[in-house]
Amino acid sequence: MRFITREKIQDLLEALASEAEVWAPRELNGSGGSIMFERWRSGDPIAFEGVTTLSAKDMVLPRTEKLFGFRYTAGTGNLLAEALGQSAGQPAKEKGEHLSIDPAEPVAEKVLFGVRACDAKALDVLDSLFNRADGSGYEDPGYRSRRAGLTVITIACTSCDEACFCSSFDNGPAEKAGSDLIFYPVDTGFLVEAVTVRGEKILARDEAAKSGQLFEESMLQPPALAETARVEGTADMETLLPAIFADLDFWERSTASCISCGFCTYGCPTCHCFNIHDEMRGDREGERLRSWDACMFHIYTQEASGHNPRPTPAHRYRNRINHKFSYYPENQGQILCTGCGRCIRGCPAGLDIREVMTAALAHARGQGST
Amino acid sequence: MISELAKSELSMSDLAAKISEALAGADLVLGWTASGPGGVAAPARFYEQAEAQQAVFDSTCVHNLAVHLPRLKERRVGIVAKPCDARAVNQLIAEREIDPGRVSVIGVECPSMVDVKTIWRRFGYGARIEDDGERLLVNGAEVERGKYTPAKCADCADRVHPAGEQSAAVADVTDETAADERQLRERFNAMSPAERREFWREQYSRCIRCYACREACPMCYCRDVCIMQSDESRWTGGGVNAGDAEMMQLIRVNHLAGRCTGCGECERACPAGIPLMLLMEEQNRVVEELFGHRAGVDPDARPPLLSFNANNDGWRKA
Repeated sequence: MRFITREKIQDLLEALASEAEVWAPRELNGSGGSIMFERWRSGDPIAFEGVTTLSAKDMVLPRTEKLFGFRYTAGTGNLLAEALGQSAGQPAKEKGEHLSIDPAEPVAEKVLFGVRACDAKALDVLDSLFNRADGSGYEDPGYRSRRAGLTVITIACTSCDEACFCSSFDNGPAEKAGSDLIFYPVDTGFLVEAVTVRGEKILARDEAAKSGQLFEESMLQPPALAETARVEGTADMETLLPAIFADLDFWERSTASCISCGFCTYGCPTCHCFNIHDEMRGDREGERLRSWDACMFHIYTQEASGHNPRPTPAHRYRNRINHKFSYYPENQGQILCTGCGRCIRGCPAGLDIREVMTAALAHARGQGST
Repeated sequence: MISELAKSELSMSDLAAKISEALAGADLVLGWTASGPGGVAAPARFYEQAEAQQAVFDSTCVHNLAVHLPRLKERRVGIVAKPCDARAVNQLIAEREIDPGRVSVIGVECPSMVDVKTIWRRFGYGARIEDDGERLLVNGAEVERGKYTPAKCADCADRVHPAGEQSAAVADVTDETAADERQLRERFNAMSPAERREFWREQYSRCIRCYACREACPMCYCRDVCIMQSDESRWTGGGVNAGDAEMMQLIRVNHLAGRCTGCGECERACPAGIPLMLLMEEQNRVVEELFGHRAGVDPDARPPLLSFNANNDGWRKA
């Protein structure tokens, strides 16, 4: 396998930064240990240990994305006439009004260094909704252009914490889906494996360089990976979960501590619900934005009539579990969870999705056979 | 109503007995069991007297369970409460959000909490935490308690339960002043207004609008119709970006003037590590200075910014 020393990582990122924006994990000052993906510039420290508080989802589904700007302009340019109401009562077209749209800025090429397999795999899971290779299904131009311009360099996990459970759901600490290059940590650096053509190109370019090559051949063996399998009994969860849907008493008891904040969904690398909203500046111009939404928010299913089909945290948590482990697998063929554990680490009320899942599956089985 | 306080050490059997007793007149009791990872306490609900045996109270009981009370209005609820939690209950009563006749408080003396979140950030989620009152051990090795004491506990001015008992065990904590948060507060107090403006701009730029701060706050019981998230009229920008997030945070601070009981749950819940209590506490201090009022001390007090009292001098000083 190819190998790169730890010291040469900065050189590698500098080389990549000459053609793209580089993003890497960094601990934020004065944040009590929060690690986030931040824009990397030469000399910036990189957090090689631990896992980021937020996922890499931001790279393809930004927290807030400007879809386009818009402006209404009077066709004649005669605003005074308009103000005097000389065109009042006529449809816009006849008044000579125009709507001009400013498209969103083109997306920069990005290199994401230092993700974990749980985040990289999540990109693959989201692709099955937003970016099908065969062009079928939902087409999301913003997601597609960001995904196409993103190079993903994953660091495999040789250790984990109590919240990690990537091996539980079609995933693992060195899972390849979603990555372009995988780095395996060894004593003095990383063994490197290309997963995609894009990854191979990076290695090939280095090999072709006459001097200052960063990668070398190595006979070192890949390291032992972290062991993270935690959730048992998930076979048939797609059908078991809906079987206990109506048992609200169960859902209330098992999710009683939930305070219905949005952190689990925001931190989750596979959660992808969004809000589209117009932010105006005056009456005539504004922007249409797409921002993260969360099914844990009370207003998520609030209807204009005032009715809310999911009025309590228990209703909403039930939906979250069913979406991730039943509906999405049924509709998109993938599990909407990669076992990153962020929802567990970040939950202020100490809820653990694994405990809820285990209880739900046991409850569903105990309810009698189908 | 506020039940009699435990004297000196609260034994677990005392606690179980008090919860059992409360269940005779309540539908459920909010408390803790030792069912969290690494042996820490996790919030729990006791419905039957037999369940009360599993109740615990220790320095990992960091959560303010009063946050659940507004959602449980139609039931009779008991709640195991630290002094800061009990202040939140008082404030909810003062604002007439909950009915004091349907809430019974089991007050516990607080030995000061341990900052579980920071410990797990540094040592990994689920690291074993043991605290015998003298030594604090993480994964079996002793750590410096001052580094892992939440600022709100280190500064707990009234380590006095609202009903008036002093906790001897907590008095020692003020001597351990190495907490990062305390240093941050000192740095903050020394800043000029312009520097503070920059400080908050940078801090709030990390806000992702998850609303964990709001949901963790017992006083933010408007949560389901919160102005910061309103769609029926868009009062604030909805973007998850620095400017809109800052607006949201400042609205929240303003809405809590004279109402924040200093439980620090907002800061504990924040995934981005924003020091929310810095501004809250500054505001609490100003309110106390102007109006002589501290939220949550007296359930019959009328919060100064929710009432008008022509005799109160504070309005002229402001």
